[in-house]
Amino acid sequence: MTPGRSVENALLAGPLVLFLLAVLGFPTVLSLVYGFSETGFQTLTAPEFSGLKNFRDVTADPTFWQAAWFSLRFGAITALLQCGLGLALAVYLAPLARAHGWTVAILIIPMIVAPAMMGLMYRLVLHEFAGPVPHYLYSWFGWSPSFLGPANVFKTVVVAETLQWTPFAFLLFLTAYQSIPQDLREAAAVDGTRPWRLFWKIELPLMMPTVFVALFIRFIDGFRVFDNIYTLVGAGPGGSTTSISIYIYETFLRRGEIGKALAAAILLFATAFVLLSVAQRLLRGRAP
Amino acid sequence: MKPRLTLRWIVFAIAAFAMNFPVLATLITAFKPPGEVSRNPSLWIKAPTLENFATVLTVSDRLNVYHYLWNSAVAALIGALLPMIVAFPLAWAMVRRGTGRSVLFPLVVNLRALPLIIFAIPLYMMYSVIGLLDTRLGLGLILAVVNLPLALLMLVNAVAEIPAEIEEAAHMDGARVPRLLIKVVLPLCRPALITTFVFGFITAWNEFLFGLMLTTRDAVPMTVGASFFFATSGGGVQWGTAAAVMVVAALPPLVLGLVMFRRISGSMVAGAVKG
Repeated sequence: MTPGRSVENALLAGPLVLFLLAVLGFPTVLSLVYGFSETGFQTLTAPEFSGLKNFRDVTADPTFWQAAWFSLRFGAITALLQCGLGLALAVYLAPLARAHGWTVAILIIPMIVAPAMMGLMYRLVLHEFAGPVPHYLYSWFGWSPSFLGPANVFKTVVVAETLQWTPFAFLLFLTAYQSIPQDLREAAAVDGTRPWRLFWKIELPLMMPTVFVALFIRFIDGFRVFDNIYTLVGAGPGGSTTSISIYIYETFLRRGEIGKALAAAILLFATAFVLLSVAQRLLRGRAP
Repeated sequence: MKPRLTLRWIVFAIAAFAMNFPVLATLITAFKPPGEVSRNPSLWIKAPTLENFATVLTVSDRLNVYHYLWNSAVAALIGALLPMIVAFPLAWAMVRRGTGRSVLFPLVVNLRALPLIIFAIPLYMMYSVIGLLDTRLGLGLILAVVNLPLALLMLVNAVAEIPAEIEEAAHMDGARVPRLLIKVVLPLCRPALITTFVFGFITAWNEFLFGLMLTTRDAVPMTVGASFFFATSGGGVQWGTAAAVMVVAALPPLVLGLVMFRRISGSMVAGAVKG
């Protein structure tokens, strides 16, 4: 490669690299400096090195572990529910989707609504006096659970997240399902293979890579959840819906513990990084 | 064949109803007169009215919907266009010359999987020093980061689909790289550029966390502004008004998304599978 060319390549990559450095590189340095320092909003410009103190504070905080556990459970449960439902819907509704494309558009509407708005909408829908859900439950069964009370709030946010993002899994699976060559199915039909068996033995194995991708993406999104839970219930009764993102937000803005919040963010970054590397190695191992 | 198809329609109707229920209920509530909401929480409107929308669209000293809409529009525009501008030359260099394939590409694409909150705090501190806190530009910049991975991915895919012969012909004519990029490659990428833009605009418009943390008054986006209508200043939430503001907030991305539905769903799938 000529030297002129490599200069040219650097110029082509330049805008993106500069942009990343400015908007993410500098903040990352700040994170590291303040993560290892003693700071409050008053002493923002004069951080005092405090070693691992912030990390000790975070790991000694039971709320942090509670939040981490919440995020883990929330991410895993919602990912499984969404992918299960999405897969079933995609396979069952595929003929409908093929003949009437607009049905797919209707089903993906929830994805285009901001999660923060969805959280607010659920606040209306589930409201004791103004919400249609408790209203109909009362008039049909004479009873309605307290959806946002301590006993039910976890289930409520899981259902809300699942209903909003099942369309995503549905869309991925529908595309994967429709790209299975039709002659495979015809050959199976000639052999007299029953639809159920066709699904388990031929279609599902072919869709498996998509299933893993969908599970992974939905888990990540559930794990880092903030918007919809925050607008629906905030930290929840007794902090019961404090996800790791909400924990960091509250530690930072509500309590002003900058160092501690950053330490938690750095721990979260490290965890995400490890998870991501492992997942990618696994996915790559599967690819032919 | 016939009864099976009917059953499929029923399943579709149930799924569509369940998943869109909050949107539907909000839409209905928005057209109920203020007094009716608590007396009649059902999905039936007794006396439909536009009163709530009139309230929402009236500027008060505390709440100004136009201001939020404008902030969202500007920030989302920056957040959608900037990633395309910085990613486009690199995408071409990546495909044709392998520039940054091994490090830069995975780095950027993996950004998508990181919890955004990690960047929110240091950005808050940086912005407060350089005066970008509570500005539309500051919000737009971070929204651009959010959109960068998908923009790069989609532009790389788009450039890869252009036959190299077309570019070689232009090269023979003596076109230098900048000219080649603007005159030949850019027009050929147009469909991908439109999709990337629409998708990025919707994502940026719908973002909430950065709006919540990095703005307080001047640059509050629509998603955050809508939540102000729920913050009760004495008395309860005005549900009719709150519903109307949510309709207003959700409408721009919904219209864009449904008009461009085929491209959007295609890019979602491509982004997920190829990432």
